[in-house]
Amino acid sequence: MIVRRRAAVAAVFALSLLAGCDRLPGKPKESQRPLSPAQVKSFDVLYTQNCAGCHGAAGNFGAATELANPAYQALVDDATLSRIIRQGVPATAMPSFAQSAGGYLTDAQIAILIDGMRARWKSGPPLKDAPPYAAAPGDPAQGAQVFARSCASCHGPDGKGGARAPGSIVDRSYLMLVSDQALRTLVIAGRRDLGHPDWRQYPPGQPLTAQQVADVVAWLAAKRPRFAPGTWQSVSTK
Amino acid sequence: MSPSQIIHKVGAWLDHRLGLSGPLIEAAQHPVPRSSASWWYVFGSATFAVMVLQFLTGLCLATVYAPSADRAWQSLIYLNYDQPLGWFIRALHGWGSNFMVGLVCIHMAQVFLFGAHKYPRELTWLAGVVLLLATLGMAFTGQVLRFDQDAYWGLGIGAAIAGRTPFIGGRIVKMILGGPIIAGETLSRFFTLHVFVIPGLLISFVGLHLFLVLRLGINEWPMPGRIVRRETYLAEYHRMVSTDGEPFFPYAAQKDLVFIGLIIAALIVTAAVMGPIGPNGEPDPAIIQTVPRPDFFFLWLFSAFALLPPWTETFLMLTGPVVAIGLLFAIPFISGTGEKSYRRRPFSVMILVLVFMTIGILIYLGTYSPWSPHMEAWSGAPTPVEYVKGRTPLELQGAILIQAKQCRNCHSLGGQGGMRGPALDETATRLTPDQIVRQIVQGGGNMPAYGKNLSPAEVNAIVAFLATMHPAHQPPAHNAARPALARVDQR
Repeated sequence: MIVRRRAAVAAVFALSLLAGCDRLPGKPKESQRPLSPAQVKSFDVLYTQNCAGCHGAAGNFGAATELANPAYQALVDDATLSRIIRQGVPATAMPSFAQSAGGYLTDAQIAILIDGMRARWKSGPPLKDAPPYAAAPGDPAQGAQVFARSCASCHGPDGKGGARAPGSIVDRSYLMLVSDQALRTLVIAGRRDLGHPDWRQYPPGQPLTAQQVADVVAWLAAKRPRFAPGTWQSVSTK
Repeated sequence: MSPSQIIHKVGAWLDHRLGLSGPLIEAAQHPVPRSSASWWYVFGSATFAVMVLQFLTGLCLATVYAPSADRAWQSLIYLNYDQPLGWFIRALHGWGSNFMVGLVCIHMAQVFLFGAHKYPRELTWLAGVVLLLATLGMAFTGQVLRFDQDAYWGLGIGAAIAGRTPFIGGRIVKMILGGPIIAGETLSRFFTLHVFVIPGLLISFVGLHLFLVLRLGINEWPMPGRIVRRETYLAEYHRMVSTDGEPFFPYAAQKDLVFIGLIIAALIVTAAVMGPIGPNGEPDPAIIQTVPRPDFFFLWLFSAFALLPPWTETFLMLTGPVVAIGLLFAIPFISGTGEKSYRRRPFSVMILVLVFMTIGILIYLGTYSPWSPHMEAWSGAPTPVEYVKGRTPLELQGAILIQAKQCRNCHSLGGQGGMRGPALDETATRLTPDQIVRQIVQGGGNMPAYGKNLSPAEVNAIVAFLATMHPAHQPPAHNAARPALARVDQR
């Protein structure tokens, strides 16, 4: 009798162990199923592997453009975002990610990245009266006045830095590393994470017009040194 | 008739014809020195138990596994995710191999420390060395059968090493891979080795090993000053066993059994908690986003090969293993008699410590492989937020370039990134801006020159960023001659 009872207890114990096997910590989870790089469909994985390095783990506080900035997400349309990711931005540090352009991402993965960014970071109604994403170059002379009125209080009278915004924005090396479009995007969308206002926030109550944005970008771009293509010359920060 | 009576009758019927019970009982009750019934003497039997478990789990896996290059990986994925408890059998088999390699090494170290390889047990040691090699062979072929990216590239590296053999290298590679490349036939060969050839070797040499242990008796506990002499040892051992001996079963065997139970329980818990080992990504040579690593029992070889000076590689890779295995075989002939106790064999103890320390350090290095760039750090390791806040536009461009130019694949920032070069977090405390320019443009130390890959503006930006890399309480390095030079420039 005792033997039988022991056997029954052992059997129940073994069965309960078997039933619990599905919850053991070592059981591989469906999410761990290995995928080939082209099969990865998760925004988080794709963003972390490809974008987070420069644009920040959560789309902000990265060294490069703040993707999680709602103003930026409102400014840039899908086609432009797709083109930038696919082909990169020439002469800047933004590389091309499409397989067709030497990168590792498929078209479907780039679409997942765009959809994911929109879902996470595009919020609120579309911006009213915002200057367009791209426009023809403005007038540098007018731009100097725009700068004096809207920018100089932080960036210093000549753009070489002030107490609230250290560092020169007319530094020649800096200007050689950023595109006109990046300057324009920054002026319009600002950098919420690092405290740079967008086009309507400064001075308060006096948003920049589309023409003023084009002018101030032209003023900045005119300070960029120009070299004949293919020749590099010494660029001094002094 | 009760079950026990039935068993008894069947057993008696069989024994009447086979006549095995006498020799078996005699073997189980052979006398062993009382001193050898110790917790130090349990590792061999535990290795054997794990091996039997490996046979059983391996049998289960072989019923599902498909040994062909195009289906092996799929069958492993099926085992892990679809076959009920397939993952657990894989986990037991994978961790079992780790346990077995570990136990073999401990067993061998214990035998060596206790002088059990000395007269008359030289042949037992030789069989043990063959068993060690067969165990490692099982581990390697098993790693290949887990046909994922690690296996694929590991096999490629193994074949590349074999291919360095002078004159016949190409033929050896062809023999290992079943052709010039890793293809369909490769896996069949390793399946044959893993399932038929090496297990056969294991079974026969375990038989020989156990037979010798029974025939020559288990090694007695080594006493300092009790010298092994060929003329007198056998008689001394016989006297020791007859005056101070006990039957192996149950006197010594009970410790073996308890330890086997503990090891198997530890193995089951490990398998249940850690889960199956791999497979990682599909073994597709077109996928280059992979960081293949050997399993831990070959990590030390991986490190050693990675760290060898290039001009010694071919010579050491081909002669090193031969010499090492030759030395293992030679041990009982080099020190076949004399002191057994580790207390009187400082040189042997030192060799053992040295070997284990070397292997341990190489495994540690192989785990981190600081010589290997982290190829995804540039796009996947965010610039630490504190290095972004309060930086000037040019410095921010420098931070972007540090990522985009893939500096972080070799240099870490905030603990993330490669370890080939020094971490960049405190660069400015070591180098002045001028020295950073020189280092980037000309390279030096282990670093390539990047002068031709960076524009002057890019160098300026990177240097501007790196010049901020110092703790708040520590001023950046500066060139004391700078003010004077500036005055000279002004004149």
